[in-house]
Amino acid sequence: MKKQQPGIVAIFRYLDDICHVTESIRDSRDFRGHEIVSFTSYHELMHLAEERHGPSQVRWFTLVGALSGVFTGFAMPLWMDYDWPIVVGGKTAGIYSVPAYFVFGFELMVLFGALATIMGMLVMGRLPNPKARIYDKRTTDDRFAVFVPGVSVESEQARLLKEKGAEEVYSTT
Amino acid sequence: MSDEITWDKTVSDVNDGILAPTGKPHPMYYGALGLSLVCLLIGIVAWSLQIIYGMGLSGLNSPVYWGTYITNFVFWVGIGHAGTLISAILFLFRAKWRNSVNRSAEAMTVFAVITAGMFPLIHVGRVWVAAYWMVPLPNTNQLWVNFRSPLIWDVFAISTYLTVSLLFWYMGLVPDIASMRDRVRGFKRLVFGFMSFGWTGTLRQWHHYEAGYGFLAALATPLVLSVHSIVSWDFAMSVQPGWHTTIFPPYFVAGAILSGCAMVYTLVLPFRTMFRLEGFIRKEHLEALIKLTLLTSTIVFYAYGIEFFVAWYSGNEYEWAIFQKRATGPYAFYFWVMVSCNCFFPLAFWSSKIRNNQVACFIICVLINVGMWFERYNIIISSLVEDFVPGSWGHYEPSLTELAITIGSFGWFFTWLLIFCRFFPFVSMSELKLIMPKPLRSSGVKRQGTGG
Repeated sequence: MKKQQPGIVAIFRYLDDICHVTESIRDSRDFRGHEIVSFTSYHELMHLAEERHGPSQVRWFTLVGALSGVFTGFAMPLWMDYDWPIVVGGKTAGIYSVPAYFVFGFELMVLFGALATIMGMLVMGRLPNPKARIYDKRTTDDRFAVFVPGVSVESEQARLLKEKGAEEVYSTT
Repeated sequence: MSDEITWDKTVSDVNDGILAPTGKPHPMYYGALGLSLVCLLIGIVAWSLQIIYGMGLSGLNSPVYWGTYITNFVFWVGIGHAGTLISAILFLFRAKWRNSVNRSAEAMTVFAVITAGMFPLIHVGRVWVAAYWMVPLPNTNQLWVNFRSPLIWDVFAISTYLTVSLLFWYMGLVPDIASMRDRVRGFKRLVFGFMSFGWTGTLRQWHHYEAGYGFLAALATPLVLSVHSIVSWDFAMSVQPGWHTTIFPPYFVAGAILSGCAMVYTLVLPFRTMFRLEGFIRKEHLEALIKLTLLTSTIVFYAYGIEFFVAWYSGNEYEWAIFQKRATGPYAFYFWVMVSCNCFFPLAFWSSKIRNNQVACFIICVLINVGMWFERYNIIISSLVEDFVPGSWGHYEPSLTELAITIGSFGWFFTWLLIFCRFFPFVSMSELKLIMPKPLRSSGVKRQGTGG
């Protein structure tokens, strides 16, 4: 099993503290590879996440999925009606009921778009991850955390995090 | 409505307050589960008999070939509508109160649509070949399905709706399952770890999760409106008097949302007691749900009125005759139950006193569900019993088998819902924390605070 990188975990209780820390360590070389962990998606943190990671690329998954859905939704009945036309009222075979196909185009747009969105969320969020590192169990309850790889609790980084309001800083292996 | 609510809980109380009671529910829970299982058993026995002895056990016969089963199908699809409305549309409108009831509404949607999906299978009789009829596969003559038929549109709409609702529901559950994983050990931890995909709550994960959630909501919003519109076309695309009308799509959508909201209230109120969630599902949230129910009830009231007006104003004597018969003929009882339950009783919600009286609201919401079932019954039966040819007129009453299967469908729905609530959080914990007072150093984490 792959050994996880050691480092320090700083636990924060307050949203304003974690936002402040996130901003101040974002571009710092001393905190390279750090992770911010939250128990929910506070707007303030999402704003900082957008600054750090840029606009989410999930939107391209949604777009490609939705467009392929529209294409499939029209292509499938068109081909099937071409393959064996159902002649109604003596109308010539080869005349297609395109307005009826909008239903399939729309429904498959939503279906494929939704499936692709989920795929995008998983791929971009690097999930599923069976070997995921649980930084601290409290981070799915009511605490925020900062993980800094490759440093110890005696380091300058640990001192700074304590200064910024960390309740606790401990080393993890 | 003001989004400001005074909370006596903090974000630190959420996980304990919501997860702890799931392990030890109120005794009422076991009573409800027992009752649901009995109803389910009745349904299973009735359906088994119908499979063995054939469709003669149902009351379906010329001229009524769409009876109670299709009524149930439309009813359950309608129930499923509030889930996505609350999850998607209210999410896009940033109605914060939806965060306390969205999980229950989504679970309700998933189980209601699964229940609905069973009825076409029950209805066709030979269930073992029904799946073959419902997907676009060529038949023995290598003939494809008729893509101009609203019935195949419906198959696509319902399948899409079920899939998207499931995805929405499950994605919402992922951070909460991760919370559950972090509270247990051993095999349970392994299972929850697998189910949560290894979610850790990093900023990167939340960032893409939020973006994806928004896109899912944007895709699901027109889907909510389309699904019941397509269900309404099962009727409106025919030339049957009473069905062939352009008002059907918006009328069906409004009715679906009305029944869905009423069902959410009907479920949330007892479940809130069973799992001791009064501190998280606040009376203000319940009142907001009642206001939404009132809004959709007034739309339905208007639709009933305009439907009558158009039947008269169109000058089509067949259409007008059907509407007169609905109100005064052999099925008048069902019609007036429908009007009373969907239009008149909900008018009580204009009173703030009634809106805040949970027992009264619960009773009215149950009546709305009764009314909405009779609405579908009324639409389907009254149009079919008397068509253009008087010689083919008949009468329809549901048989015992049909009634037993209907009871069974309620048992099936509630059994799954109760099982779900026993093992998973009935309130979305990660989303609830968003509407509670934020843990700010400047304001401190205090017991009293305001939030959405």
